Amino acid sequence: MTADSIHSTTQPDSGIVQLAPLLRVSDIGISFGGLKAVQQFSLSLPQSVLYGLIGPNGAGKTTVFNLLTGVYQPDSGKMNLSDISLIGRKPHQITAAGIARTFQNIRLFPSLSVLDNVRLAGQLRSSEGLLHTLLRTSLHHQSEAELKQRAMELLEIFELQHRAHELAGNLSYGHQRRLEIVRALATSPRVLLLDEPAAGLNPQEKRSLAQSIREIRDRFQVAILLIEHDMGLVMDICERIVVLDHGVTICEGTPDVIQNDPQVIAAYLGAAPDSGQNIF
Amino acid sequence: MPRDSTQSPQTRLTPANSGFSGTTGNAWYGLFPLVAGLAMATALQFILPGAAGPYYSRIVIDAGIAIVLAVSLNIVNGMTGQFSIGHAGFMALGGYTAGILTHYGSMLLWGSAGRHGGFLGSGELLFAASCLAGGLISAVAGYVVGLPSLRLRGDYLAIVTLGFGEIMRVILQQTGRVIDDAEKFRSGGLSQLIPPPVGGAVGFDGLPKYTSLFWVYSLVTVTVVVAYRLKVSSPGRAMISVREDEIAAQAMGVDIARQKVMAFVIAAFFAGAAGGMFAHESGVIISPRDAGFQRSFDYVIMTVLGGRGSISGVLIAAAVLTALPEMLRDFEQYRLIVYALLLIMMMLVRPQGLFGIHEIWDLFAPFLRRQQKAAP
Ligand SMILES: Nc1ncnc2c1ncn2[C@@H]1O[C@H](COP(=O)(O)OP(=O)(O)OP(=O)(O)O)[C@@H](O)[C@H]1O
Ligand SMILES: [Mg+2]
Repeated sequence: MTADSIHSTTQPDSGIVQLAPLLRVSDIGISFGGLKAVQQFSLSLPQSVLYGLIGPNGAGKTTVFNLLTGVYQPDSGKMNLSDISLIGRKPHQITAAGIARTFQNIRLFPSLSVLDNVRLAGQLRSSEGLLHTLLRTSLHHQSEAELKQRAMELLEIFELQHRAHELAGNLSYGHQRRLEIVRALATSPRVLLLDEPAAGLNPQEKRSLAQSIREIRDRFQVAILLIEHDMGLVMDICERIVVLDHGVTICEGTPDVIQNDPQVIAAYLGAAPDSGQNIF
Repeated sequence: MPRDSTQSPQTRLTPANSGFSGTTGNAWYGLFPLVAGLAMATALQFILPGAAGPYYSRIVIDAGIAIVLAVSLNIVNGMTGQFSIGHAGFMALGGYTAGILTHYGSMLLWGSAGRHGGFLGSGELLFAASCLAGGLISAVAGYVVGLPSLRLRGDYLAIVTLGFGEIMRVILQQTGRVIDDAEKFRSGGLSQLIPPPVGGAVGFDGLPKYTSLFWVYSLVTVTVVVAYRLKVSSPGRAMISVREDEIAAQAMGVDIARQKVMAFVIAAFFAGAAGGMFAHESGVIISPRDAGFQRSFDYVIMTVLGGRGSISGVLIAAAVLTALPEMLRDFEQYRLIVYALLLIMMMLVRPQGLFGIHEIWDLFAPFLRRQQKAAP
């Protein structure tokens, strides 16, 4: 990657940070036994931005996602989505509030069809109740039809519509990763957390994924926080980046700030000595 | 909602949607399977005993009751992927509840505990209402037993449900003798019902024999329709997602605690209603043993053989496993051995059950889809 391409895709951050942040996290932390997995983590995510969260293996990135989505409760700190506090909320409540995620190790519903995976996520916003389902009222038909239509629309955007009736577990790895994103989007989130969506993809798939992620941001007006080990990809598409190491935020800023930060370079060299000087 | 969905061209989407559009406005469509089921139940009631005789009719009734129990258990074990082995406990609770209502209710209403009225007569209506009440009481118990499922899983939950069935069995054993004298009961007041005089270890004898093909297959219809409608719609998908992956389900906004308890409540309701039918079946005296582990295990086997989440598979397994031992009466003592061998074989050859998560008609789905494509 050349320095030019970085600058051409990096938006000047003055215009973005002006907006009131959608997700505001301050000083959250969690320990597992003696291990301080995440400490004093803070983040302010305005609407429709694309931020990166990077760090060596075991730095605590996935743990941050687990904290944000209520899988773990932070030992300390505050988390707010717009004006709602997320502390003490269960994962499904946080999804309902507007934060959706994908998983580092794919967690689809393997024996449900592709369509059902997406519909399942979509029903969070549908009004159908048990009684309507059992009596097959017109409300039931209407909301199921809408669900299906929205699911097919989303699948089409991600070119998965022809696989709608296949079992999710039978999809290729790349398609499964994409389906995870579709499924998360089907919950109509305001914040989308992507945990290593490019892991295991070939270079061509990665390029197309990078393109999709940008499109998602623009099209769905969703703020994206991206965990990714592929530095080329992160530096290329993220406007701002947070760097974690051993649970501590060691740097935050635009890609060019990150690339020239001595602490970041040291963290990565410590973690991956054979990748040499030119880690980005 | 994706914010751009209003902008995308609607025309593209009609094929995906066309299956629904014809039926959206028609409320009767939703009633069709129920009406068809009731018609079938009525036909069975009037044709089968004459055509096949009382012995086979009895087997068909037993099969129907087993179908209700197995299909409802499958909502817990198959759809939400929990493991309950106390289903007979709910059945017995419902059966005894319904029995108390018909036996003592008849005494209060008509002065005798015997059968009252003919087909669809007042006695049968009391019976139907009692089965419904048995179902509701069981559903409440299902709620209570379902609560531990929020903290426990796998083996531990199985032990809790097993414990529930055994507790039911032991409590029922401690109950007092059935009051047969209507006059005495009427003069004695309702306080005689506490603790319930339901026969103790010998069972609740003397219940009016209202259970018929009509009532059993009406209940089968409602159970199967409810199970199927659950399975293919949003609430059912939420349950299935709990089976597939709890963490992912939560991340999709599914309240897994609610789904698990709801599955228990729905399943217990149908088990309780089926228990009511069982208690009033001729040739049956419902007894504390019916709440126990052995009977629960029979239903677990039916769901395992049929396939987790396959309603038609479980239905067939329940019917076959009820009829087969009757046919092979001479080999009665080998029944459990055959069951065990069957289970081991299934685990080795087809661990997902006969049909896995599919329905019988899914086998024809590829064929149908090809036809549809060829048609226009
Ligand atoms: N539930 C848990 N119990 C104990 N330790 C945990 C738990 N979850 C995470 N950890 C530990 O916390 C640290 C951070 O883990 P985390 O998964 O967040 O890292 P990561 O940055 O996502 O790494 P990777 O790039 O490998 O995915 C690790 O040392 C991990 O072992
Ligand atoms: Mg991780």
